[in-house]
Amino acid sequence: MGGLFDLAVPLILLIVGYFAGTMAEQSHYKSIRVRELRMRRMPTTNLKKPPAHWRVEKVALVAGSTVVSVDYFKRFLAQLRGFVGGRVRSYESLLDRARRESVLRMKEEAAKLGFDAVINVRLESSNIAAPFRNDRGTAGVEVLAFGTALKLIRQP
Amino acid sequence: MEPLENNVSPEHPLAELGTLVLGVGGIGLALLAVVWLAVEGAVRWLPVSLEERAFPSASIEAPESPELDALLHRLAKGWPEHEYTLGIGVIDSPEPNAFALPGGQLLVTSALLQQAASENELAFVIGHELGHLAGRDPLRALGRGLLVSLALAAVGGAEGAGVAASAAQLGERSFSREQESAADRFALALVAAEYGHVAGAADFLRRLPDAAEAGAAERAASWLATHPRSAERVAELRALADRNGWSLEGELTPLPRGMSDQ
Repeated sequence: MGGLFDLAVPLILLIVGYFAGTMAEQSHYKSIRVRELRMRRMPTTNLKKPPAHWRVEKVALVAGSTVVSVDYFKRFLAQLRGFVGGRVRSYESLLDRARRESVLRMKEEAAKLGFDAVINVRLESSNIAAPFRNDRGTAGVEVLAFGTALKLIRQP
Repeated sequence: MEPLENNVSPEHPLAELGTLVLGVGGIGLALLAVVWLAVEGAVRWLPVSLEERAFPSASIEAPESPELDALLHRLAKGWPEHEYTLGIGVIDSPEPNAFALPGGQLLVTSALLQQAASENELAFVIGHELGHLAGRDPLRALGRGLLVSLALAAVGGAEGAGVAASAAQLGERSFSREQESAADRFALALVAAEYGHVAGAADFLRRLPDAAEAGAAERAASWLATHPRSAERVAELRALADRNGWSLEGELTPLPRGMSDQ
C-alpha cells in the first residue's frame, strides 16, 4: 500500500506536468510566432554601430527579460537524460521560448517608445532556481535581451 | 521569412520518455542483476574464515555472559558442521530482539533476557539466529543492503545518499520470509535436539507482535520490512513439530540464575 502510494504521487505529477506543460508551451509558441511576425519589420542586429548612412536622432537602452520554468515532466526527462548523457531535448524548448520571448519584449519596448531599430543586441541567461537542491525547487531560467534602440531621422 | 525554428529537437517528448525509461531502466535492472548475482555468488563461495576476518567479532562491544555462551554452544552441538567461531553478547536495549552479525557473532538485547520466561524460549531465539548464520543470511543482507542503496542513490541522485544509507541499514536488519522461516525451522530442530521436546519454543514469537511489529523503524518503512506475521510463524512451527513428532508439551528449563538480571 505504502509502496503503491509512493509510486502514484510522482506518476500523477508526471501526467499533470506533461499536460499542463504541453498546453502552456503550445500557447506560448503560438503567441511568439504571431508577435514575431508583427515585429519582423524592426531591424534588430548585434552590430555595435549603426550602418554609416543611418542618421540617428535618439538612442536608449531597451531590455526584455523572461523567466521560464520547466514542468515536472520535463525535469523528469532531463533527470533520466542525466544518466546517459546526450542532448537534453526537454530543456531546449524552454530556452528557445525564453530567448525569443525576451527578444520580443525588447523589441516591443523599443516600438512602444517610438524607436525604429535595435542594435548591439546581447543575450544573457542565468539559472535562477536550483532544480535539485534537496530535491526541491524548480529549474527556472532567466534570459535577458538588451540592446541599443535607435530612432532615425527620416530622409526628406 | 518564416523562422526556421531549429533550436528545438523535433522528437516527441513522450517518445523520448519511452526511450529513456526503457534504456535507463533496462541498464539499471541489468546492473542490479549483475550486483545481485555477485552478492549471491560471494555468499555461496566466500569461506567462513574470510567472513570472520572481514567482520571480526572483537570489534563489537557487547558484554559476554558465560551462561549465555554455554547455552549457545550446547545448542550449536545440533549444528556440528558449522565453521564459525561463535560468540554471543548482550546489548542494552528496551526492545526484545536478537541479531546475527556477519562473522558469527550473535547479539541479544537485555530486554529479551528480561522477558524470556524460560531457557527453552531463549534457546529458540538463539537457534533462530544460528539458523540465519547457517543460511549465511547476515552476509547476504549486507549485499542486498548495498543493492538497495545503489538503486536509491541512482534514483535520488546525490541527495538520495542519506536515504540510501538508512535503507541499507534497514536492509541489513530485515530478512526475507523464506529466510525467517528457514531460520525458524533450524531453531526448532536445535531446540528439539537439545531438550527432547519443543515446549516453550514459540512463546517468544507469541509475545512478539506487540513489541517488534510496532517498531518505529518498521512502521516508517513498512514496505521494506518483510517479517512474517508472528501468528503465521507459530502455526508453521506447530505444523513442523507435528510432522517431526516433536512434543509440544514438556518440562520447561528455568533460565540460568542471574541471566535475566543483565
